[in-house]
Amino acid sequence: MNFLAPLALLLAGATAVPLVLHLLRRRTGEKVDFPAIRYLLRAEREHSRQLKLRNLLLMLLRVGAVLALALAAARPIGRLAGSSHAPTAIAIVLDNSLSTSVVVNGAPVLARLKDAARTAIGRANASDRLWLVTADSRVVGGSVSAVRAALDRTEPLAGAGDLHAAVTRAAQLVRGGGLPSRQVAILTDGQATSWASAVSLDGVAATVFAPAMAPPKNRGVVSALAEPPHWTPRGAVRATTTATDSVTYRVALGSRAAARGIVAPGEDIVVRLAPNERGWIAGAVELEPDELRGDDVRWFAVHVGSAPGVNAETAAGPFVRTAVDALVQEGRVARGNDVTVAGAESARKPGVLFAPTEAVQLGAANRALERAGIPWKFGAARTGPAPVTGAGLAGVSALRWYAIEPRGVQEQGSVDTIARVGSDPWAVAGDGYVLVASPLTADGTDLPLRASWVPWLGSAIADHLSGDAGSITEAAPGASIARPAWARELEEPDGTRRAVTASRIEAPTRAGVYFWLRGTQRAGALVVNPEVSESDLTRLPIAALRSRFTGAEVAATDDAGKWTSSAFSFSGRRALDGVFIVLALLLLLAEAVVTRAIAPKED
Amino acid sequence: MADTKTRADLVDPASLAALGRIEVIARWVVEGFLTGLHRSPRKGFSVEFAEHRAYQPGDDLRFLDWKVVARADKWLIKQFEEETNLKATIVLDVSKSMAWSGAPGRITKLAYAEQVAAAVAWLLLRQRDGVGLIRFDDEVRTVIPPRGRSVQWRRIITALEDPGSGKGSDAPGALMKAAQLVTRPGMVVVISDLLVNEEEMAKAVSVLRAVGHDVTVLHIMDPAERDLAIAKMETELIDTETAASVNVMLSEVRDAYRETVQVAIGEWRDRLSATGAAYEPVYTDQPFGVALRRAFAARQHLP
Repeated sequence: MNFLAPLALLLAGATAVPLVLHLLRRRTGEKVDFPAIRYLLRAEREHSRQLKLRNLLLMLLRVGAVLALALAAARPIGRLAGSSHAPTAIAIVLDNSLSTSVVVNGAPVLARLKDAARTAIGRANASDRLWLVTADSRVVGGSVSAVRAALDRTEPLAGAGDLHAAVTRAAQLVRGGGLPSRQVAILTDGQATSWASAVSLDGVAATVFAPAMAPPKNRGVVSALAEPPHWTPRGAVRATTTATDSVTYRVALGSRAAARGIVAPGEDIVVRLAPNERGWIAGAVELEPDELRGDDVRWFAVHVGSAPGVNAETAAGPFVRTAVDALVQEGRVARGNDVTVAGAESARKPGVLFAPTEAVQLGAANRALERAGIPWKFGAARTGPAPVTGAGLAGVSALRWYAIEPRGVQEQGSVDTIARVGSDPWAVAGDGYVLVASPLTADGTDLPLRASWVPWLGSAIADHLSGDAGSITEAAPGASIARPAWARELEEPDGTRRAVTASRIEAPTRAGVYFWLRGTQRAGALVVNPEVSESDLTRLPIAALRSRFTGAEVAATDDAGKWTSSAFSFSGRRALDGVFIVLALLLLLAEAVVTRAIAPKED
Repeated sequence: MADTKTRADLVDPASLAALGRIEVIARWVVEGFLTGLHRSPRKGFSVEFAEHRAYQPGDDLRFLDWKVVARADKWLIKQFEEETNLKATIVLDVSKSMAWSGAPGRITKLAYAEQVAAAVAWLLLRQRDGVGLIRFDDEVRTVIPPRGRSVQWRRIITALEDPGSGKGSDAPGALMKAAQLVTRPGMVVVISDLLVNEEEMAKAVSVLRAVGHDVTVLHIMDPAERDLAIAKMETELIDTETAASVNVMLSEVRDAYRETVQVAIGEWRDRLSATGAAYEPVYTDQPFGVALRRAFAARQHLP
């Protein structure tokens, strides 16, 4: 039996009233003279047993009546003896998120959840309506056999899915099921991160099963990135793990292992590589297997190209020359004419272009930008100092800069503001150019005096000016993502291609690296990895899990037997407040009869 | 048959007591009592044959002298002469428990008992019997030796009008006093609520009976004492004499109480009958005539 208004059970405390009255009643009387008290004492002495029994009966009747009223006020719902379950619309929400693939006591948690679901489905009959809703909100409805087959086919997702959406969807289904008895049956591992917030059942009763088993210690790769995303051809892979012990790892690039090693707890994996391959390559960082395999590997993508030939024009100043020399020595660029680093008055694509040193050169610079097809021009001068915000520019200040103003209509997505000063763009990147609003002089910016100068320049060249850069999209399995405007096809890890036309698409449910294709060439990557939260296997206690469901009666248990027996239980359950009200009335009637039997008689 | 509404012995005692002083009421009661006596099959107490008179229509045929009728064919009624040598003592309980009434419109047990005592006294004096009075509570308060003179009536009335006093009841002591006052066998009428020690009371009555007294005990009870008819549901009852108290839910114990009272009455009856004394419970809502009749009817049945 459950209660829709359990707080009303506090009224049961009122049972103390007849109890207290019973105990105190002999101290509440009014004083009356009565000479024949000896007969009274004798009567009490000779009939004490009968009187006590009668008083006890009265007290029990009164306590029972108060208790029954309190129970009625708590709006109990229970199953009347002998009643079979009425036709029920029931949606089984199966949590098949990545975390349920963890192996505990020799079997995946998902297998236990499926066993419980299978038993519950077995209790359905032809008059019921049945659906199976998985964590990715996929719905299979229909006959018992169809739902059972769907259950058998259900595999763990590569990510967290969206259990809140699944529960909401399930509640919608049963509400629209056309049957008066409705129930959502939820099977989950109770992962805390999956149930971080409450979900409303909107009036549909639910039973929740979360198996009672301690989650194993888990280690996983929670981040894996190529630094920078475009290698020329040198670069690094940086990965972070949740390992609490030293663990061996493997870094793969394409189809081959690029590095192996052991990483200590709290340390990042950093592997520097210079692969021979060119173009977009899939990579992965793998740990040795544990109970949760899904987060033991994390995917990344990198674009590998040849080191671009960079020409640092003399007019660009000594800072540029020194930086290019350093990049050449590191092998990240070569000397050549592929990329120019110059002042904007000598603008040429591809190139890293700085604002002119002197204001009188502003007109010439704008004309050069226009000739080079760069859709920006310098505007009004600004003075600082003011902090510059942008990747790799921490601590950099702009002392003097020009407003960068767009020239004409720009194609959406073709321009990227990579740094700002306040609300002004300070550095913008586009097709074949990186344009900086400050002159590269000591009175223009302190960027060349910072340690971040050379890496920033290297990244600007590698990310924006090294041929066909493209972009990398990170997504969780099944997440909704925006398609790059230029992408027309998506190449899957097995090499198959599928057309993508919608502006937003659903990310693949399988983790891995997918490539955006422009024409027949890879022009970007879609990296699908499980949510980091799935690696945290901490579980909610049953009571806390139950509290995550609002808006309806909810029963939660960690006992599979209880849960399966409770499936359809709500359908056979009725509001029992009427029963308790009748019971209270009967008790009060009995109390009245007993009281009348001993009440003063009119002679 | 005479109209019962005009007979004072049959009128509601509370209503009657409100009409006048005790001696007046007593005379009314006795007159009413005697008026009805000739209709009673139990008339003619403590009388002796005196003379004949001519039969008058309406006379009781039982008093027709059949021998004279047979011998002389004269219809004569036997007339009786009152006995004059009876010495009677009324032992009246005036303890605190007697000064109690169970309902606002009802007279107290003491007032009722005093009225009964006055009526008995007047009736006996009217027959020229000697009547005495002993009033007692926890000690003997008043002692009037039995006399048959007319001034005795005034002395008794004056004594009855004295207020009650002490708390407890020493009925055995009062009875012993009565035994001392009446040296030759006589009549003792005890009027009390009998909230006394049963053993000692029975023992005292036995002593009286042993010296040849006819003893009649009138057990005066308020109907509320019989039925526990008190309006309050939850009450702390306090004994007027001992100040002992009992908290009680009246509705719960009423039946048991009634049963106990009936048992107690039966026990009094058995206990006093065993000594040869007569016992009659009298309730204060009953007309005085009932009490009077019981007082003397009991005496008729004595061996």
